[in-house]
Amino acid sequence: MSALDHPGATAPYSPTPSTANLADILERILDKGIVIAGDIKIDLLDIELLTIRLRLFISSVETAKKAGIDWWETDPALSSRAAQSALARENEELRGRVAELEGRPPGTPKRNRAKESA
Amino acid sequence: MTATDVGHPRTGTSGGGAMATCVFAVLRTGGRQAPALTPGHAGGGAVGLLPLPGGDLQAVVQDVPAADFTQEALRRRLGDPLELERCARAHHAVITAAAAGGAVVPLPLATLFTASGRASAALADRRDRILDVLDRVEGRAEWAVKVHVAQHAPAPPAADGKDPAAAPGRPGAGAAYLARVRGRERDRQARHEALLRVAGRVHEAAAAHAVAAVRRTPHGTAITGKDRPQVLNAAFLVDDSRATDLVAAVRALGGAHAGLDVHVEVSGPWVPYSFTSLGEEP
Repeated sequence: MSALDHPGATAPYSPTPSTANLADILERILDKGIVIAGDIKIDLLDIELLTIRLRLFISSVETAKKAGIDWWETDPALSSRAAQSALARENEELRGRVAELEGRPPGTPKRNRAKESA
Repeated sequence: MTATDVGHPRTGTSGGGAMATCVFAVLRTGGRQAPALTPGHAGGGAVGLLPLPGGDLQAVVQDVPAADFTQEALRRRLGDPLELERCARAHHAVITAAAAGGAVVPLPLATLFTASGRASAALADRRDRILDVLDRVEGRAEWAVKVHVAQHAPAPPAADGKDPAAAPGRPGAGAAYLARVRGRERDRQARHEALLRVAGRVHEAAAAHAVAAVRRTPHGTAITGKDRPQVLNAAFLVDDSRATDLVAAVRALGGAHAGLDVHVEVSGPWVPYSFTSLGEEP
């Protein structure tokens, strides 16, 4: 993940924009405060909410790793697709668990009274 | 969190709508090399250089559709993982490319002005502070150091309750259980202290080669994985001539130490995001 692993590329700032880890980028950008030093203002409360949501986003993407999805090891960049497949997988697990709790085999359709919550 | 990518027209058609001036970074004029320019935010005009009053500073700016950068629009866009990634990478790419032209002061994501004249005036007001920060980061870069420790506790005997002597129901089982719990708590404490020592050692080794350091809150195990706690998440401002020394010094601390499997992760050089505050971020 370090630029030094590729000593050929000693451009001024090497974690090249296309490959730098998104979490690393966000961490730096968020620490600078998102928005707004200019004259188009966003009120502070919103910025805080935004920050919290962004941090949640980082966490939720990285749960993919816990779930054993292998892109994490092979591709250090947090790709959006990976985030979505992690979400899909999580949804799948949750559906399975709901099915268990409702006493039907996973994969069978819910009865009508079961409220759709996905 | 769900990825909502429905219904919103793509940013793009800058056809006719009001534009705002987005400022990415400020740097000196007359560097060894012209700053490189990348496309910037989707839907905006070309990224360009805006000379600032005084002639020795320039801002990296882009006209962007104002409608994409209102409070509502930003909240929606940055709450959408795909849009967030696009925005963050565009921002980072512009700043990183501009740094080819010399030291830069990166501004916060989506620093917006109603017109380039406004941007120029506002930055002129901060001129002294900007020059100070540029002096401070000239010839230096940010390096990030993270330390993770793999958890393979040296198999404490009977830690999992399989000690046959302590089978439930046998006399003394309760006392043995409590003793085990206390022992585990002691081990946990000792491990915790060992982890802090490792973090401290790596931080010191890096700081010895740096002119400034910031320590961020380590990521929780929800992020890093339960078996791989992060014990150090730091950034260092380093003279370019000392970067290889720093990297070598912290890497030398990776490996097995006192029963801990220490992983040191170094990344850089980064534009010194963490050391270029103009003192007015929220």
